[in-house]
Amino acid sequence: MPREADLARLIARVAGGDRLALRSLYEATAPKLLGILHRILRDRDAAEDALQEVFVSVWQRADRYDPQAGPPLTWLGAITRHKAIDRVRQEKAARLTPVEEGFLERLADTGDGEDDLARRDALARCLDTVEADRRDCLVLAYCEGWSREELAARHDRPVNTIKTWLRRGLLSLRGCLEAA
Amino acid sequence: MSGGTEGGGVAFWAEDPAGTAGEYVLGTLTATERAAFARALEGDASLRALVAGWEIRLAPLAGSIPGLEPAPRVWRGIEERIGGPPGARSPSGDGGARLLRLERGLRRWRIAAGVAGALAAGLALFIAVPRPGVDGRQYLAVVDRGGALPALIVRVDLADGSVQVRSLAAEAPPDRSLQLWYVGANAPPRSLGLLTEADRLSLPAALPAAVRGATEGATLAVSVEPKGGSPTGSPTGPVVYSGRLVRE
Repeated sequence: MPREADLARLIARVAGGDRLALRSLYEATAPKLLGILHRILRDRDAAEDALQEVFVSVWQRADRYDPQAGPPLTWLGAITRHKAIDRVRQEKAARLTPVEEGFLERLADTGDGEDDLARRDALARCLDTVEADRRDCLVLAYCEGWSREELAARHDRPVNTIKTWLRRGLLSLRGCLEAA
Repeated sequence: MSGGTEGGGVAFWAEDPAGTAGEYVLGTLTATERAAFARALEGDASLRALVAGWEIRLAPLAGSIPGLEPAPRVWRGIEERIGGPPGARSPSGDGGARLLRLERGLRRWRIAAGVAGALAAGLALFIAVPRPGVDGRQYLAVVDRGGALPALIVRVDLADGSVQVRSLAAEAPPDRSLQLWYVGANAPPRSLGLLTEADRLSLPAALPAAVRGATEGATLAVSVEPKGGSPTGSPTGPVVYSGRLVRE
């Protein structure tokens, strides 16, 4: 995985209408972004369609990328996740597939990128301090696109309880990260 | 407690902006909340800062998801949608073939759960592909909101002042009409007509004669209106597509 600074330079060239830069950006990041889309959409074709939309968005909006507001991969990941969430919310079918466990473990040992090792360690450590049920909801929502309703069914709790869990979970996560 | 901002009520996130921004990033707001929040983000830097904070805090979680190698067709599709391979100019007569390829790629897109969800994307995309035409005064645009809303193909011919809109969707939203607007610089939107059930596949509309000379930089927009079109003569519903006419 290339360094964030290289990605930022590519995005700046894309903003100037450089198609070759878009191709390089695609080669560098498409597998990662497709993984995110597939985890949420759970359909290879839908995920690849969404990946096209992501890169067309990037082509159109690269000039809106502000390096001060966050690293390039965070920006690309945000566009990608929101695309996936918007799609998945429009499908009526509830998800029946079992949850894949082990996010936290993998969080600790993924090896791409060096710049954000510290951030990753801090998040893993702080997630560990969040109550287990709430942590489960946060991770499933973020990584797999679960809705409040789906989480309510999984935990057999009212939707409002899930909303409370999510917000309190987020707050304690932020508290922990800021204390670090 | 209010559930929205319409009519000047208290925004639903006013009580907990940070938590709402966090849930926006998680993706757990309801469709209505998500759409309203996405709209508010456009004009509220403090909300955008809250969202950016959560995106950065949570991003390492996305790093834990294993990657997948995309099929070669994915890049080809992107290339087609941004106007061809690097440096390539559309050779004469290729426009039709490209249009067909676009249609194949987009056919699966459809209107699913109404407009609100797709608006949440907050991503109006606009792709202008100059077509080889008489003196280069034809434009072909694919106007695309992303998500499940259908893409529209807009063809503008400056030579005879006509606008053609084709929807790539199989369905139109029930009980609503899509209305096409021409927005010139410093001028109120002018209706160019409805994309109704009967003629949704092709809507020939004439550009207002007075603005033909000033088409460059003008905007075409599509709004969702009550069945039969806007009752006021101006857009009343959400604008689901908009794009500036640009010449590459």
